[in-house]
Amino acid sequence: MVTITIDGTEVQVPAGELLIKAAEDSGTYIPRFCWHRRMNPVGMCRMCLVEVEGPRGIMLTPSCTMPVNDGMVVHTKSPTVEKAQEGVLEFLLLNHPLDCPVCDKGGECPLQDQTLSHGPGESRMVEEKRHYEKPIPISDLVLLDRERCILCARCVRFSEEISGDPLIEFMDRGNAAEVNTFPDEPFASYFSGNTVQICPVGALTASAYRFRARPWDLREVASVNPLTTTGDGVTVQASQNEVLRFLGVDNDATNHGWLDDRSRFGFEWIASPDRLATPLAKSGDGHTEVSWGEALGAAAENLSAVIEAHGPGAVAAIGGARGTNEDAYALASFMRSSVGSPNLDARLDDGLGTHLLSSLAGKGEIGDLETARTVLVWAADLKEEHPVLYLRVRRAAQELGATLITVHPTATGLADRATHTVTYRPGEGHDLLDRLRAGSGDLADVRAALDEGPVVAIVGRTGLAEDPALAEAVTAFARDLPQASVLPVVRRANTYGAIDMGVAPDLLPGRVAAGGDAGHTGWEKADTSVGLDTRGILEAAADGRVKALLLVGADPLRDVPDADLAARALDAVDVVISIDCFLTDSTAKADIVLPALGFTEKEGTVTNLEGRVMKVNRIVSGPGQARADWSIIDDLAARMGRPLGFESAEAISLAIAEHAPAYGGITWFLLDWKERDGVVAPRDGVEQPLQYIPTTSLRAVGSGGAKRGGFALHLGRLLYDDAVLTRQGASIADLAPGAYAVLNPTDADRIGANGHVEVDGHRLPLRRDASLAEGTVAVPFNQPDGPPLGGSSHVDVAPGAGA
Amino acid sequence: MSEQQDLFTAVANMWKGFRVTFRQMRKPRVTTQYPKEFREKPQRFHGRHVLNRYDDGMEKCIGCELCAGVCPAKCIYVRGADNPIDDPVSPGERYGYVYEINMLRCIFCALCVEACPTEAITMTHLFEMSTTNRQDAIYTKDELLVQPDGTPNHMFDEDHLADFGELAAADGWMRATSPQGRADFSGVPGWTPSAGVGLRPAEQGQSGTEPEGEDA
Amino acid sequence: MSWSEESLQRADDILARYPEKRSAVMPLLYVAMREDGYLTDDGMRQVAELTGVTPAQVQSTASFYNMYKREPVGKYLVSMCTSISCFLMGADDVLHAIEDEAGIPAGEADDEIGVEHAECIGACGGAPACLVNYELIEGLTPDKAKELVAWLRSAKPDVINADEMQALFGGKTSFDWGIREERGAVGPFPAFGPFGTADVNTDALEPGRST
Repeated sequence: MVTITIDGTEVQVPAGELLIKAAEDSGTYIPRFCWHRRMNPVGMCRMCLVEVEGPRGIMLTPSCTMPVNDGMVVHTKSPTVEKAQEGVLEFLLLNHPLDCPVCDKGGECPLQDQTLSHGPGESRMVEEKRHYEKPIPISDLVLLDRERCILCARCVRFSEEISGDPLIEFMDRGNAAEVNTFPDEPFASYFSGNTVQICPVGALTASAYRFRARPWDLREVASVNPLTTTGDGVTVQASQNEVLRFLGVDNDATNHGWLDDRSRFGFEWIASPDRLATPLAKSGDGHTEVSWGEALGAAAENLSAVIEAHGPGAVAAIGGARGTNEDAYALASFMRSSVGSPNLDARLDDGLGTHLLSSLAGKGEIGDLETARTVLVWAADLKEEHPVLYLRVRRAAQELGATLITVHPTATGLADRATHTVTYRPGEGHDLLDRLRAGSGDLADVRAALDEGPVVAIVGRTGLAEDPALAEAVTAFARDLPQASVLPVVRRANTYGAIDMGVAPDLLPGRVAAGGDAGHTGWEKADTSVGLDTRGILEAAADGRVKALLLVGADPLRDVPDADLAARALDAVDVVISIDCFLTDSTAKADIVLPALGFTEKEGTVTNLEGRVMKVNRIVSGPGQARADWSIIDDLAARMGRPLGFESAEAISLAIAEHAPAYGGITWFLLDWKERDGVVAPRDGVEQPLQYIPTTSLRAVGSGGAKRGGFALHLGRLLYDDAVLTRQGASIADLAPGAYAVLNPTDADRIGANGHVEVDGHRLPLRRDASLAEGTVAVPFNQPDGPPLGGSSHVDVAPGAGA
Repeated sequence: MSEQQDLFTAVANMWKGFRVTFRQMRKPRVTTQYPKEFREKPQRFHGRHVLNRYDDGMEKCIGCELCAGVCPAKCIYVRGADNPIDDPVSPGERYGYVYEINMLRCIFCALCVEACPTEAITMTHLFEMSTTNRQDAIYTKDELLVQPDGTPNHMFDEDHLADFGELAAADGWMRATSPQGRADFSGVPGWTPSAGVGLRPAEQGQSGTEPEGEDA
Repeated sequence: MSWSEESLQRADDILARYPEKRSAVMPLLYVAMREDGYLTDDGMRQVAELTGVTPAQVQSTASFYNMYKREPVGKYLVSMCTSISCFLMGADDVLHAIEDEAGIPAGEADDEIGVEHAECIGACGGAPACLVNYELIEGLTPDKAKELVAWLRSAKPDVINADEMQALFGGKTSFDWGIREERGAVGPFPAFGPFGTADVNTDALEPGRST
């Protein structure tokens, strides 16, 4: 710490910090346009000029490029500084059009605000301003107005320093300088929306928000991004009972203020006209609208009948990861206590072992990436599945100098920053791990890097066709690395919270292993044995052992890798009850569909991938008669004669704080008032009830049958896919690229494929990627019109007809 | 005190009391036979709003919602939308797609007129706005937007109460202050529905100089 | 990949000189310009591909510098200095004369000749001065400038040589003690390069040299 004097007040600030940041943190705001807390200084706008006393006298200095020194004396409000600020603003406004009334930034514009607070009262500019065509769409989501640009380079620096896809750049120079993209090369970044948010003027605007509202008619509430597992802080802004915008909030622990475009623009499903607004009951081929009483009565009757005829084990529940922890707790209580069945799972056969996910929570944090020397990513392509975590890893490698190792069947989005890019053929992961452990051959360098701690290991399934046991083995290996923190990653939004709440076949609420005593749960009677996971449930349903299926925000036909199995299961069961926001492929087969509230329509907590519990809030009312999941489940339980007695979501949260050991003491009050960035469960002083044992109950894909084809299948997800919430968002629905197959050029030439290939008989456009391991075919999962391939780990690939 | 003095005092007091009456008797009557006759309203009378058009018929409103933002009664609801490229409604990128004023809430303060950057919303001398239900008191764009010739629409076509003749003089002023916040704005090109685009003489007291011409 | 083998070979040689591939963007842009006569979008894409940066970054660099031409500039680029010394000595008149004779406004080009303003070309002593394919002529007058343009159109010299042009059209010069450059610029613009100029066989070009 050093002592500096700002406007006559002595303050203690960290040595070497930039003056503008030190001043802000100690209470003096220096106006700025180009400087951003999360990006390197560039000193372009000159708005942050301050007077610094130095050996050569008092000098005007840009405070964003000036590190503090001990004894520094700074004046931020002297007449000279004010004159400089007026001058800078006058220059910036020379060519800035005064179309604030129609500008989407008007009312929340730093240039507007600072012109008011620091600028000259009058303009001396009488000449015609510069004119460009406006606005020009530089991507599907972002519009560019070059007239308004003040050349602060925030977007340029963001795309270079933070997101690593510099598709937007300065062009020309001097008076003609402008920000633009290359011709026919759109700003197709997964993170382009962030540049809209950090643009200090209205030069970059979002097409989704264009002219939808002005800042003064927006209400806002702090919440958490509902589409990823990183727990990104967001501000949800709504007007006239319609959510209009998500903004990233700088949560130091998770997202640093950034959001991916799917999360930022993916809120439009909330107001989708396809939202379910009334309960539906099956009649003939379709559904008819019924009242809540009829629907719940029929559901309770059907479930009771199944329990009576076949026992409680014939009822199973899939899903629950789309809701809040309170919803999940209600579901777990309903299944284990009211129904008495242990067959429930929030994962859709795409996850990792529940013990792995739950027991490691709190052991490693995303923030550990800031201090890591080595980062190992042996998981799905983070850029596609965990975009914000991808940004944090990129920052560790690019800005903080960590050694980055990626292990994946192909080069990932991090390839350009990875020190070591290791690729392998799916199915040979265990061999690779053995070689890595031994550090043999070409992996010696990688092994040596892993011995330099602190190590952060991000572990998950690289693709949906991969054996989940591999991730367990990698975790076991990574835990023994020096000063290791392990982050197990799965994609589905609140999977972590749902599993922690006991929506898992082998866990009870609060991270307690199933099979033991249920005394802590407060349930009067419950089945606490180990039940079936999603694949087990579907197989049992197909075999006729499970008769009733409760789908809670789950679409097995689309989301479960083995779509064939899901289809057989849904056809075989007697009763399907679905609690969902949309009529999805699976929901359409349900006997009773109960409309649920979505995010921004209900309060609750969610848990992110590091075990951080965060509060999500309500800002709009739901469509029609839709109700919160917990309330539907509570009503259903009461009608079955086995009431749960939940009165409100907050009452459930208190029950969680009391009965879920790992969540002890985590109440809404705490999250609302004290820990706004969330609390990692278990809190200090609370013991983690689950010990990690590297094992898994999950079976490998295709383990049942013989290897079908000669090519190992890599089934990875892309950011934009055909999931229902993406499909229902107008802005992002069309961004899914559609299905294709990737082959190594050697393989493609060997089989003579050109243009198209047939993968297990499905014709797909061919792409070539030399980084893909030989003998592998990569196909993105759940793309529009994509083939159902998840049932096998190996497929046949043949050259497609009509290249 | 004598009786004479009392009488004198009484008469004097009576005279005092009637003085106002007698004085007023000599003055012309101000009461008019409304609705047969209309009184000429002050130039700055705050009557009903209209949304104006440019000479070429384009709407002036750009849907910026500044009027809605400044409205102390929160009685204005505006939504903007992208101008259709082939058939723009207003100049520029954006136009007022929805424009509603709830006249039951409006307090006729004219802050919306002050806030309007394009002089799209102005106040007229129209004041008869009685309705028989609350829904009719919400004026939508249909009622607010003037005809291409500048004639305001009225809620009820057959309304014989509206004094359309007075509108010519109803737009003599636009802002209490000049566009730049200075009192002196004579010589700044302005716009009024009746006078069109042109130089508007300053009003008395606004520029520090005497008005050069008569009020528009 | 639309580049000739020779250009790709040249690009490889350039890339080998830099520890960071992106450092080679600027010399490669000259190769791209030589390939197409000016910087095309495809050329910039090619440079981006070779250096591992995005096309936008390449264009950002290319558009910053005047001498990377992003429009066709003809075979002979006449750059008339209009900075202060030349301006005071009547550069405007000379430029207008060039424009009139060439029939092209400054900043545009036909197949043969391109005309442009230039900032100070360092020949203030011999103002007004201009460059033809970056070869200097000093002490121009409007009449001489017209002759120069007419000569370029009619003689179509393969090699542009400063001394030769100076003798034909020039006037007062800044200095006469400079190193005499025999060879001059070669071929259609952009004929020079920061790389490989010395490899050009001047003898082979000798026959085309007009006097």
